[in-house]
Amino acid sequence: MSWVIETESLGKRYGQIQAVKQLSLRVAEGEIYGFLGLNGAGKTTTIRMLLGMIRPTAGTATVLGTRVRLGNREPWASVGYMVEVPHAYGELTVRENLEAARRLHPGTPPEAVDKIISQLGLSPYDSRRTATLSHGNHQRLGLAKALLHDPALIILDEPANGLDPAGIVEIRELLTDLTSNHGKTVFMSSHILAEVARVAHRVGIIHKGYLLREMNAAELENERNKSLLVRCSNPETAKGVLAAAGNKVELLKDGTLVLRGANAIEHPEQINLLLVNARVPPSGLRVEVEGLEEYFLRLVGAETEKMDG
Amino acid sequence: MAELGGLLWVEFCKAWRSKMPLWTSLGSLILPVAIAFLLFVARNEELSHKLGLVGAKANLVAYSGADWAAYLGLFTQMVSAGVFFLLVISISWVFGREFTDGTVKDLLAVPVRRSSILLAKFILIAAWAVLLTMVILVSGFLMGILLNLPGGSVALYLGGSGRVLLTACLVTLVVLPFAFFASAGRGYLLPLGLAVLALLMANLAVVIGWGDVFPWSIPLLLAQAKEPMPPASAWIVILTGAVGMFATWLWWMKADQSR
Repeated sequence: MSWVIETESLGKRYGQIQAVKQLSLRVAEGEIYGFLGLNGAGKTTTIRMLLGMIRPTAGTATVLGTRVRLGNREPWASVGYMVEVPHAYGELTVRENLEAARRLHPGTPPEAVDKIISQLGLSPYDSRRTATLSHGNHQRLGLAKALLHDPALIILDEPANGLDPAGIVEIRELLTDLTSNHGKTVFMSSHILAEVARVAHRVGIIHKGYLLREMNAAELENERNKSLLVRCSNPETAKGVLAAAGNKVELLKDGTLVLRGANAIEHPEQINLLLVNARVPPSGLRVEVEGLEEYFLRLVGAETEKMDG
Repeated sequence: MAELGGLLWVEFCKAWRSKMPLWTSLGSLILPVAIAFLLFVARNEELSHKLGLVGAKANLVAYSGADWAAYLGLFTQMVSAGVFFLLVISISWVFGREFTDGTVKDLLAVPVRRSSILLAKFILIAAWAVLLTMVILVSGFLMGILLNLPGGSVALYLGGSGRVLLTACLVTLVVLPFAFFASAGRGYLLPLGLAVLALLMANLAVVIGWGDVFPWSIPLLLAQAKEPMPPASAWIVILTGAVGMFATWLWWMKADQSR
Protein backbone atom coordinates (compact mmCIF):
# COMPACT_ATOMS: atom_id res chain seq x y z
CA MET A 1 0.00 0.00 0.00
CA SER A 2 1.32 3.43 -0.84
CA TRP A 3 1.11 5.98 1.92
CA VAL A 4 0.45 9.64 1.27
CA ILE A 5 2.22 10.57 4.50
CA GLU A 6 4.72 8.33 6.21
CA THR A 7 6.97 9.22 9.13
CA GLU A 8 9.63 6.99 10.59
CA SER A 9 10.70 7.65 14.20
CA LEU A 10 10.33 11.37 13.58
CA GLY A 11 11.62 13.56 16.39
CA LYS A 12 12.34 17.20 17.14
CA ARG A 13 14.36 18.51 20.04
CA TYR A 14 14.73 22.18 20.98
CA GLY A 15 17.64 22.23 23.44
CA GLN A 16 16.41 20.34 26.48
CA ILE A 17 12.83 20.18 25.22
CA GLN A 18 11.84 17.13 23.20
CA ALA A 19 8.84 18.45 21.27
CA VAL A 20 8.18 15.29 19.20
CA LYS A 21 9.49 11.80 19.96
CA GLN A 22 9.70 8.64 17.86
CA LEU A 23 6.65 9.53 15.81
CA SER A 24 5.77 6.89 13.23
CA LEU A 25 2.48 7.36 11.47
CA ARG A 26 0.99 6.51 8.10
CA VAL A 27 -1.82 8.21 6.25
CA ALA A 28 -3.51 6.33 3.41
CA GLU A 29 -4.78 7.86 0.19
CA GLY A 30 -8.33 9.16 0.32
CA GLU A 31 -8.70 9.18 4.10
CA ILE A 32 -9.22 11.93 6.62
CA TYR A 33 -6.66 11.49 9.37
CA GLY A 34 -7.42 13.35 12.58
CA PHE A 35 -4.32 14.30 14.52
CA LEU A 36 -5.43 14.97 18.04
CA GLY A 37 -3.64 16.43 21.02
CA LEU A 38 -3.80 19.04 23.75
CA ASN A 39 -2.15 22.42 23.26
CA GLY A 40 1.62 21.94 23.23
CA ALA A 41 1.36 18.20 22.50
CA GLY A 42 3.52 18.50 19.37
CA LYS A 43 0.86 18.74 16.64
CA THR A 44 2.10 21.92 14.99
CA THR A 45 5.76 20.87 15.27
CA THR A 46 4.86 17.63 13.49
CA ILE A 47 2.95 19.50 10.79
CA ARG A 48 5.85 21.90 10.26
CA MET A 49 8.21 18.93 9.89
CA LEU A 50 5.83 17.34 7.37
CA LEU A 51 5.89 20.61 5.40
CA GLY A 52 9.68 21.01 5.46
CA MET A 53 9.52 24.16 7.55
CA ILE A 54 11.61 22.75 10.38
CA ARG A 55 14.31 20.12 10.27
CA PRO A 56 13.71 16.95 12.31
CA THR A 57 16.44 16.08 14.80
CA ALA A 58 15.60 12.40 14.32
CA GLY A 59 13.82 10.21 11.78
CA THR A 60 12.34 10.99 8.40
CA ALA A 61 9.11 12.22 6.86
CA THR A 62 7.88 11.23 3.41
CA VAL A 63 5.03 13.06 1.73
CA LEU A 64 3.54 11.81 -1.55
CA GLY A 65 6.55 9.57 -2.00
CA THR A 66 9.10 12.37 -1.62
CA ARG A 67 11.44 12.58 1.34
CA VAL A 68 10.77 15.99 2.93
CA ARG A 69 13.78 18.31 3.06
CA LEU A 70 14.09 21.99 3.95
CA GLY A 71 13.96 24.32 0.97
CA ASN A 72 12.89 21.67 -1.58
CA ARG A 73 10.31 22.41 -4.28
CA GLU A 74 8.94 18.85 -4.17
CA PRO A 75 6.24 17.73 -3.42
CA TRP A 76 4.49 21.03 -2.72
CA ALA A 77 2.69 21.41 -6.06
CA SER A 78 0.32 18.69 -4.80
CA VAL A 79 0.06 19.80 -1.17
CA GLY A 80 -2.20 22.50 0.26
CA TYR A 81 -1.80 23.57 3.86
CA MET A 82 -2.85 25.88 6.61
CA VAL A 83 -0.61 26.09 9.67
CA GLU A 84 -1.78 27.60 12.97
CA VAL A 85 -3.59 30.94 12.68
CA PRO A 86 -3.96 31.81 9.00
CA HIS A 87 -2.36 35.12 8.05
CA ALA A 88 -2.73 37.18 4.92
CA TYR A 89 -1.29 40.39 3.50
CA GLY A 90 -3.52 42.95 5.18
CA GLU A 91 -3.03 45.63 2.51
CA LEU A 92 -4.23 43.29 -0.25
CA THR A 93 -7.82 42.34 -0.95
CA VAL A 94 -9.08 38.77 -0.58
CA ARG A 95 -8.81 38.33 -4.36
CA GLU A 96 -5.28 39.78 -4.49
CA ASN A 97 -4.15 37.49 -1.67
CA LEU A 98 -5.49 34.50 -3.60
CA GLU A 99 -3.89 35.82 -6.79
CA ALA A 100 -0.55 36.00 -4.90
CA ALA A 101 -1.07 32.42 -3.69
CA ARG A 102 -1.86 31.34 -7.26
CA ARG A 103 1.42 32.78 -8.52
CA LEU A 104 3.26 30.84 -5.84
CA HIS A 105 1.84 27.70 -7.48
CA PRO A 106 2.81 28.02 -11.15
CA GLY A 107 0.40 26.24 -13.47
CA THR A 108 -2.70 27.07 -11.44
CA PRO A 109 -5.19 28.62 -13.91
CA PRO A 110 -6.54 32.14 -13.22
CA GLU A 111 -10.11 30.75 -13.04
CA ALA A 112 -9.11 28.85 -9.90
CA VAL A 113 -9.33 32.11 -7.93
CA ASP A 114 -12.98 32.72 -8.90
CA LYS A 115 -13.84 29.10 -8.24
CA ILE A 116 -12.38 28.99 -4.73
CA ILE A 117 -13.87 32.39 -3.79
CA SER A 118 -17.28 31.02 -4.67
CA GLN A 119 -16.67 27.61 -3.06
CA LEU A 120 -15.58 29.06 0.28
CA GLY A 121 -18.34 31.71 0.36
CA LEU A 122 -15.90 34.61 0.07
CA SER A 123 -17.70 36.40 -2.80
CA PRO A 124 -19.10 39.22 -0.61
CA TYR A 125 -15.58 40.00 0.60
CA ASP A 126 -13.45 39.51 -2.51
CA SER A 127 -12.69 43.22 -2.89
CA ARG A 128 -12.17 43.85 0.81
CA ARG A 129 -8.74 44.41 2.28
CA THR A 130 -8.00 41.38 4.42
CA ALA A 131 -6.97 43.58 7.36
CA THR A 132 -10.69 44.30 7.82
CA LEU A 133 -11.86 40.66 7.75
CA SER A 134 -13.30 38.85 10.76
CA HIS A 135 -11.38 35.94 12.27
CA GLY A 136 -13.81 33.48 10.71
CA ASN A 137 -13.32 34.94 7.24
CA HIS A 138 -9.54 34.90 7.74
CA GLN A 139 -9.94 31.20 8.43
CA ARG A 140 -11.94 30.79 5.21
CA LEU A 141 -9.28 32.67 3.27
CA GLY A 142 -6.61 30.39 4.78
CA LEU A 143 -8.59 27.35 3.63
CA ALA A 144 -9.10 28.94 0.20
CA LYS A 145 -5.32 29.38 -0.16
CA ALA A 146 -4.81 25.74 0.86
CA LEU A 147 -7.31 24.43 -1.71
CA LEU A 148 -6.68 26.92 -4.53
CA HIS A 149 -4.30 24.75 -6.61
CA ASP A 150 -6.43 21.59 -6.28
CA PRO A 151 -3.89 19.65 -4.19
CA ALA A 152 -3.99 15.87 -3.70
CA LEU A 153 -3.07 16.23 -0.02
CA ILE A 154 -4.45 18.87 2.32
CA ILE A 155 -2.73 19.45 5.66
CA LEU A 156 -4.76 21.58 8.04
CA ASP A 157 -3.84 22.74 11.52
CA GLU A 158 -6.98 23.33 13.59
CA PRO A 159 -9.16 24.20 10.56
CA ALA A 160 -12.31 24.89 12.60
CA ASN A 161 -10.68 27.51 14.83
CA GLY A 162 -12.67 30.73 14.92
CA LEU A 163 -15.52 29.44 12.77
CA ASP A 164 -19.12 29.71 13.90
CA PRO A 165 -21.21 26.49 14.19
CA ALA A 166 -22.54 26.88 10.64
CA GLY A 167 -18.99 27.40 9.36
CA ILE A 168 -17.77 24.30 11.21
CA VAL A 169 -20.51 22.17 9.62
CA GLU A 170 -19.67 23.67 6.21
CA ILE A 171 -15.97 22.84 6.55
CA ARG A 172 -16.80 19.34 7.77
CA GLU A 173 -18.97 18.78 4.69
CA LEU A 174 -16.31 20.26 2.44
CA LEU A 175 -13.60 17.94 3.81
CA THR A 176 -15.89 14.90 3.53
CA ASP A 177 -16.72 15.86 -0.05
CA LEU A 178 -13.06 16.34 -0.94
CA THR A 179 -12.14 12.85 0.27
CA SER A 180 -15.29 10.95 -0.72
CA ASN A 181 -15.94 12.49 -4.13
CA HIS A 182 -12.60 13.89 -5.27
CA GLY A 183 -10.11 11.36 -3.92
CA LYS A 184 -8.20 13.89 -1.82
CA THR A 185 -6.40 13.03 1.40
CA VAL A 186 -6.78 15.23 4.46
CA PHE A 187 -4.48 15.37 7.47
CA MET A 188 -6.05 17.64 10.08
CA SER A 189 -5.02 18.47 13.60
CA SER A 190 -7.33 19.45 16.39
CA HIS A 191 -7.55 19.51 20.16
CA ILE A 192 -11.26 18.68 20.04
CA LEU A 193 -11.90 14.94 19.68
CA ALA A 194 -15.63 15.40 19.06
CA GLU A 195 -14.84 17.57 16.03
CA VAL A 196 -12.30 15.11 14.63
CA ALA A 197 -14.41 12.01 15.37
CA ARG A 198 -17.22 13.33 13.16
CA VAL A 199 -15.16 13.33 9.98
CA ALA A 200 -11.97 11.33 10.48
CA HIS A 201 -11.57 7.80 9.18
CA ARG A 202 -8.64 7.38 11.50
CA VAL A 203 -7.44 9.23 14.55
CA GLY A 204 -3.92 9.56 15.96
CA ILE A 205 -3.55 10.90 19.48
CA ILE A 206 -0.34 12.72 20.36
CA HIS A 207 0.61 13.67 23.89
CA LYS A 208 3.83 15.21 25.17
CA GLY A 209 5.38 14.50 21.78
CA TYR A 210 4.49 10.78 21.71
CA LEU A 211 1.91 9.17 19.46
CA LEU A 212 -0.19 7.49 22.15
CA ARG A 213 -2.68 5.68 19.99
CA GLU A 214 -3.90 5.30 16.42
CA MET A 215 -7.39 3.98 15.84
CA ASN A 216 -10.18 3.93 13.31
CA ALA A 217 -13.71 5.16 13.95
CA ALA A 218 -15.00 1.72 15.10
CA GLU A 219 -12.12 1.25 17.54
CA LEU A 220 -12.75 4.70 18.92
CA GLU A 221 -16.37 3.79 19.54
CA ASN A 222 -15.42 0.50 21.26
CA GLU A 223 -12.77 2.05 23.48
CA ARG A 224 -15.15 4.49 25.10
CA ASN A 225 -16.53 3.42 28.50
CA LYS A 226 -20.20 2.53 28.66
CA SER A 227 -22.41 2.08 31.72
CA LEU A 228 -26.02 1.23 32.52
CA LEU A 229 -27.74 3.78 34.74
CA VAL A 230 -30.69 2.53 36.82
CA ARG A 231 -33.12 4.63 38.82
CA CYS A 232 -35.68 3.18 41.24
CA SER A 233 -37.60 4.12 44.39
CA ASN A 234 -35.50 1.91 46.71
CA PRO A 235 -31.91 1.99 45.44
CA GLU A 236 -30.35 0.32 48.50
CA THR A 237 -32.55 -2.79 48.09
CA ALA A 238 -32.04 -2.76 44.33
CA LYS A 239 -28.26 -2.59 44.81
CA GLY A 240 -28.44 -5.68 47.06
CA VAL A 241 -30.54 -7.57 44.49
CA LEU A 242 -28.20 -6.70 41.61
CA ALA A 243 -25.06 -7.50 43.61
CA ALA A 244 -26.52 -10.84 44.69
CA ALA A 245 -27.00 -11.65 40.99
CA GLY A 246 -23.27 -11.09 40.42
CA ASN A 247 -23.30 -7.51 39.11
CA LYS A 248 -20.80 -4.91 40.16
CA VAL A 249 -22.93 -1.97 41.25
CA GLU A 250 -22.07 1.54 42.33
CA LEU A 251 -24.60 3.73 44.11
CA LEU A 252 -24.22 7.42 43.40
CA LYS A 253 -25.21 10.13 45.89
CA ASP A 254 -28.30 11.05 43.85
CA GLY A 255 -29.59 7.45 44.16
CA THR A 256 -28.58 6.36 40.64
CA LEU A 257 -27.18 2.84 40.34
CA VAL A 258 -24.30 2.42 37.90
CA LEU A 259 -23.49 -0.96 36.33
CA ARG A 260 -20.39 -1.26 34.15
CA GLY A 261 -20.47 -4.97 33.31
CA ALA A 262 -20.66 -5.92 29.64
CA ASN A 263 -23.67 -8.18 30.24
CA ALA A 264 -25.67 -5.43 31.94
CA ILE A 265 -24.85 -2.95 29.16
CA GLU A 266 -25.72 -5.37 26.37
CA HIS A 267 -28.87 -6.75 28.08
CA PRO A 268 -30.54 -4.05 30.18
CA GLU A 269 -33.85 -5.96 29.81
CA GLN A 270 -32.43 -8.74 32.04
CA ILE A 271 -31.60 -6.17 34.74
CA ASN A 272 -35.11 -4.83 34.41
CA LEU A 273 -36.57 -8.33 34.83
CA LEU A 274 -34.39 -9.02 37.86
CA LEU A 275 -35.53 -5.87 39.63
CA VAL A 276 -39.22 -6.38 38.73
CA ASN A 277 -39.11 -9.94 40.08
CA ALA A 278 -37.52 -8.65 43.33
CA ARG A 279 -40.38 -6.08 43.63
CA VAL A 280 -38.05 -3.06 43.19
CA PRO A 281 -39.09 -2.12 39.66
CA PRO A 282 -36.86 0.50 37.99
CA SER A 283 -38.30 3.88 37.05
CA GLY A 284 -35.60 4.39 34.46
CA LEU A 285 -32.88 2.49 32.61
CA ARG A 286 -30.34 4.14 30.33
CA VAL A 287 -27.08 3.09 28.66
CA GLU A 288 -24.65 5.98 28.81
CA VAL A 289 -21.62 6.20 26.51
CA GLU A 290 -18.57 8.08 27.76
CA GLY A 291 -18.24 11.47 26.09
CA LEU A 292 -15.46 11.87 23.58
CA GLU A 293 -13.75 14.57 25.59
CA GLU A 294 -13.95 12.46 28.78
CA TYR A 295 -12.48 9.53 26.87
CA PHE A 296 -9.69 11.70 25.48
CA LEU A 297 -8.81 13.16 28.87
CA ARG A 298 -8.96 9.69 30.48
CA LEU A 299 -6.62 8.30 27.84
CA VAL A 300 -4.22 11.22 28.09
CA GLY A 301 -4.35 11.15 31.90
CA ALA A 302 -3.66 7.41 32.06
CA GLU A 303 -0.75 7.72 29.68
CA THR A 304 0.65 10.67 31.60
CA GLU A 305 0.55 8.59 34.81
CA LYS A 306 2.30 5.76 32.97
CA MET A 307 5.02 8.13 31.70
CA ASP A 308 5.47 9.82 35.07
CA GLY A 309 5.39 6.48 36.89
CA MET B 1 11.43 33.21 -16.00
CA ALA B 2 7.66 32.82 -15.75
CA GLU B 3 8.14 31.78 -12.12
CA LEU B 4 10.20 34.90 -11.38
CA GLY B 5 7.65 37.05 -13.23
CA GLY B 6 4.86 35.77 -11.01
CA LEU B 7 6.90 36.35 -7.87
CA LEU B 8 7.81 39.88 -8.99
CA TRP B 9 4.09 40.57 -9.46
CA VAL B 10 3.50 39.42 -5.88
CA GLU B 11 6.30 41.56 -4.41
CA PHE B 12 5.49 44.70 -6.40
CA CYS B 13 1.77 44.32 -5.67
CA LYS B 14 2.43 44.10 -1.91
CA ALA B 15 4.75 47.12 -1.99
CA TRP B 16 2.41 49.20 -4.16
CA ARG B 17 -0.64 48.45 -2.01
CA SER B 18 1.21 49.14 1.22
CA LYS B 19 2.07 52.69 0.04
CA MET B 20 5.54 52.17 1.54
CA PRO B 21 7.30 53.41 -1.65
CA LEU B 22 5.19 56.57 -1.47
CA TRP B 23 6.03 57.21 2.20
CA THR B 24 9.75 56.58 1.70
CA SER B 25 9.75 58.83 -1.40
CA LEU B 26 8.10 61.58 0.61
CA GLY B 27 10.69 60.95 3.32
CA SER B 28 13.49 61.27 0.77
CA LEU B 29 12.17 64.70 -0.26
CA ILE B 30 13.05 65.98 3.21
CA LEU B 31 16.77 65.99 2.34
CA PRO B 32 16.79 68.46 -0.60
CA VAL B 33 13.98 70.51 0.94
CA ALA B 34 15.93 70.84 4.21
CA ILE B 35 19.14 71.91 2.43
CA ALA B 36 17.22 74.37 0.26
CA PHE B 37 15.45 75.81 3.32
CA LEU B 38 18.72 76.37 5.14
CA LEU B 39 20.26 78.02 2.08
CA PHE B 40 17.20 80.19 1.72
CA VAL B 41 17.42 81.25 5.39
CA ALA B 42 21.15 81.99 5.09
CA ARG B 43 20.54 84.25 2.14
CA ASN B 44 17.83 86.17 3.92
CA GLU B 45 19.65 88.11 6.67
CA GLU B 46 16.56 89.33 8.46
CA LEU B 47 15.00 85.85 8.62
CA SER B 48 18.34 84.30 9.60
CA HIS B 49 18.66 86.74 12.49
CA LYS B 50 15.08 86.04 13.65
CA LEU B 51 15.55 82.25 13.61
CA GLY B 52 18.58 82.38 15.93
CA LEU B 53 20.18 78.92 16.16
CA VAL B 54 18.51 77.75 12.93
CA GLY B 55 19.91 80.85 11.27
CA ALA B 56 23.41 80.04 12.58
CA LYS B 57 23.17 76.48 11.24
CA ALA B 58 21.86 77.86 7.97
CA ASN B 59 24.89 80.13 7.67
CA LEU B 60 27.15 77.13 8.28
CA VAL B 61 25.41 75.18 5.50
CA ALA B 62 25.48 78.22 3.26
CA TYR B 63 29.21 78.46 3.83
CA SER B 64 29.66 74.89 2.52
CA GLY B 65 26.94 75.09 -0.12
CA ALA B 66 27.11 78.57 -1.56
CA ASP B 67 27.46 77.49 -5.19
CA TRP B 68 26.53 74.49 -7.33
CA ALA B 69 29.78 72.63 -6.67
CA ALA B 70 29.51 72.97 -2.90
CA TYR B 71 25.76 72.32 -2.96
CA LEU B 72 26.18 69.07 -4.90
CA GLY B 73 28.91 67.95 -2.48
CA LEU B 74 26.72 68.64 0.51
CA PHE B 75 23.80 67.03 -1.23
CA THR B 76 25.74 63.81 -1.96
CA GLN B 77 26.74 63.50 1.70
CA MET B 78 23.12 63.79 2.77
CA VAL B 79 22.13 61.19 0.16
CA SER B 80 24.64 58.71 1.58
CA ALA B 81 23.06 58.86 5.04
CA GLY B 82 19.44 59.54 4.01
CA VAL B 83 19.14 56.86 1.32
CA PHE B 84 20.86 54.43 3.66
CA PHE B 85 18.19 54.87 6.34
CA LEU B 86 15.29 54.87 3.90
CA LEU B 87 16.57 51.72 2.23
CA VAL B 88 17.11 50.00 5.58
CA ILE B 89 13.46 50.78 6.39
CA SER B 90 12.43 49.40 2.98
CA ILE B 91 14.46 46.20 3.19
CA SER B 92 13.37 45.63 6.80
CA TRP B 93 9.78 45.92 5.64
CA VAL B 94 10.19 43.69 2.57
CA PHE B 95 11.80 40.86 4.54
CA GLY B 96 10.79 41.50 8.15
CA ARG B 97 7.07 41.94 7.50
CA GLU B 98 6.78 38.31 6.40
CA PHE B 99 7.72 37.33 9.96
CA THR B 100 5.94 40.12 11.83
CA ASP B 101 2.72 39.50 9.87
CA GLY B 102 3.08 35.68 10.02
CA THR B 103 2.91 35.36 6.22
CA VAL B 104 6.31 33.67 5.84
CA LYS B 105 4.78 30.21 6.29
CA ASP B 106 2.85 30.71 3.02
CA LEU B 107 6.17 31.07 1.19
CA LEU B 108 7.84 27.93 2.49
CA ALA B 109 6.06 24.79 1.24
CA VAL B 110 5.43 26.02 -2.30
CA PRO B 111 6.59 24.64 -5.65
CA VAL B 112 8.84 27.61 -6.46
CA ARG B 113 12.49 28.00 -5.52
CA ARG B 114 13.08 29.91 -2.32
CA SER B 115 15.99 31.58 -4.13
CA SER B 116 13.47 32.93 -6.69
CA ILE B 117 11.32 34.35 -3.88
CA LEU B 118 14.41 36.08 -2.44
CA LEU B 119 15.55 37.28 -5.86
CA ALA B 120 12.14 38.91 -6.43
CA LYS B 121 12.50 40.69 -3.09
CA PHE B 122 16.03 41.89 -3.91
CA ILE B 123 14.88 43.13 -7.34
CA LEU B 124 12.14 45.09 -5.57
CA ILE B 125 14.76 46.64 -3.28
CA ALA B 126 16.89 47.60 -6.30
CA ALA B 127 13.86 49.23 -7.94
CA TRP B 128 13.09 50.99 -4.67
CA ALA B 129 16.66 52.32 -4.50
CA VAL B 130 16.35 53.66 -8.07
CA LEU B 131 13.05 55.33 -7.18
CA LEU B 132 14.42 57.02 -4.05
CA THR B 133 17.59 58.15 -5.81
CA MET B 134 15.66 59.61 -8.73
CA VAL B 135 13.24 61.44 -6.41
CA ILE B 136 16.16 62.91 -4.45
CA LEU B 137 18.18 63.76 -7.55
CA VAL B 138 15.35 65.46 -9.43
CA SER B 139 14.09 67.36 -6.38
CA GLY B 140 17.67 68.33 -5.45
CA PHE B 141 18.28 69.86 -8.88
CA LEU B 142 14.92 71.62 -8.79
CA MET B 143 15.81 73.15 -5.42
CA GLY B 144 19.20 74.26 -6.73
CA ILE B 145 17.54 75.93 -9.72
CA LEU B 146 14.91 77.58 -7.49
CA LEU B 147 17.67 78.95 -5.24
CA ASN B 148 19.42 80.30 -8.32
CA LEU B 149 22.81 78.93 -7.20
CA PRO B 150 25.82 80.37 -9.02
CA GLY B 151 28.61 78.46 -10.76
CA GLY B 152 26.55 75.82 -12.57
CA SER B 153 27.72 74.02 -15.72
CA VAL B 154 26.65 70.92 -17.62
CA ALA B 155 29.91 69.17 -16.70
CA LEU B 156 29.33 69.97 -13.03
CA TYR B 157 25.73 68.76 -13.16
CA LEU B 158 26.76 65.50 -14.85
CA GLY B 159 29.67 64.96 -12.47
CA GLY B 160 27.47 65.69 -9.44
CA SER B 161 24.72 63.41 -10.68
CA GLY B 162 27.21 60.64 -11.37
CA ARG B 163 28.59 60.91 -7.85
CA VAL B 164 25.06 60.81 -6.36
CA LEU B 165 24.23 57.72 -8.44
CA LEU B 166 27.47 55.98 -7.50
CA THR B 167 26.91 56.78 -3.81
CA ALA B 168 23.36 55.42 -4.06
CA CYS B 169 24.70 52.21 -5.67
CA LEU B 170 27.22 51.73 -2.86
CA VAL B 171 24.55 52.46 -0.25
CA THR B 172 22.24 49.88 -1.87
CA LEU B 173 24.99 47.26 -1.70
CA VAL B 174 25.80 47.87 1.96
CA VAL B 175 22.10 47.74 2.82
CA LEU B 176 21.72 44.15 1.49
CA PRO B 177 22.97 42.46 4.71
CA PHE B 178 19.99 44.02 6.47
CA ALA B 179 17.78 41.52 4.60
CA PHE B 180 19.57 38.86 6.62
CA PHE B 181 19.17 40.81 9.87
CA ALA B 182 15.43 41.25 9.19
CA SER B 183 15.08 37.51 8.46
CA ALA B 184 17.17 36.22 11.35
CA GLY B 185 15.64 38.81 13.70
CA ARG B 186 12.19 37.89 12.36
CA GLY B 187 11.02 41.49 12.14
CA TYR B 188 12.04 45.14 11.98
CA LEU B 189 13.76 45.78 15.30
CA LEU B 190 17.10 44.06 14.69
CA PRO B 191 17.82 45.66 11.29
CA LEU B 192 16.75 49.13 12.42
CA GLY B 193 18.81 48.90 15.60
CA LEU B 194 21.82 47.64 13.66
CA ALA B 195 21.41 50.44 11.09
CA VAL B 196 21.84 53.04 13.84
CA LEU B 197 24.85 51.14 15.14
CA ALA B 198 26.35 50.85 11.63
CA LEU B 199 26.07 54.59 11.09
CA LEU B 200 27.68 55.38 14.46
CA MET B 201 30.46 52.89 13.75
CA ALA B 202 30.89 54.37 10.27
CA ASN B 203 31.57 57.80 11.74
CA LEU B 204 33.95 56.30 14.29
CA ALA B 205 35.76 54.37 11.52
CA VAL B 206 36.24 57.60 9.58
CA VAL B 207 37.62 59.36 12.67
CA ILE B 208 40.18 56.63 13.43
CA GLY B 209 41.21 56.37 9.78
CA TRP B 210 39.54 53.06 8.89
CA GLY B 211 36.81 54.65 6.86
CA ASP B 212 37.98 53.15 3.58
CA VAL B 213 37.76 49.56 4.87
CA PHE B 214 34.57 49.70 6.98
CA PRO B 215 31.72 48.90 4.51
CA TRP B 216 29.20 51.37 5.93
CA SER B 217 31.59 54.34 5.95
CA ILE B 218 32.81 53.85 2.36
CA PRO B 219 29.74 55.54 0.73
CA LEU B 220 30.14 58.40 3.21
CA LEU B 221 33.80 58.84 2.24
CA LEU B 222 32.96 58.68 -1.46
CA ALA B 223 30.39 61.42 -0.98
CA GLN B 224 33.01 63.66 0.65
CA ALA B 225 36.07 62.71 -1.43
CA LYS B 226 37.51 64.70 -4.26
CA GLU B 227 39.53 61.81 -5.67
CA PRO B 228 38.27 58.42 -7.02
CA MET B 229 37.47 55.62 -4.60
CA PRO B 230 40.28 53.06 -3.97
CA PRO B 231 39.53 49.73 -5.74
CA ALA B 232 39.87 47.85 -2.43
CA SER B 233 37.01 49.90 -0.97
CA ALA B 234 34.84 49.13 -4.01
CA TRP B 235 35.52 45.42 -3.58
CA ILE B 236 34.69 45.59 0.14
CA VAL B 237 31.31 47.12 -0.67
CA ILE B 238 30.58 44.57 -3.43
CA LEU B 239 31.62 41.75 -1.09
CA THR B 240 29.40 43.13 1.69
CA GLY B 241 26.38 43.07 -0.63
CA ALA B 242 27.20 39.57 -1.90
CA VAL B 243 27.71 38.23 1.63
CA GLY B 244 24.44 39.85 2.71
CA MET B 245 22.51 38.17 -0.10
CA PHE B 246 24.21 34.83 0.44
CA ALA B 247 23.58 34.91 4.21
CA THR B 248 19.92 35.70 3.57
CA TRP B 249 19.63 32.81 1.10
CA LEU B 250 21.41 30.42 3.48
CA TRP B 251 19.16 31.40 6.35
CA TRP B 252 15.97 30.97 4.32
CA MET B 253 17.16 27.59 3.04
CA LYS B 254 18.55 26.11 6.23
CA ALA B 255 16.97 27.73 9.30
CA ASP B 256 13.96 26.26 11.11
CA GLN B 257 10.86 28.32 10.42
CA SER B 258 8.77 27.82 13.48
CA ARG B 259 6.59 30.93 13.23
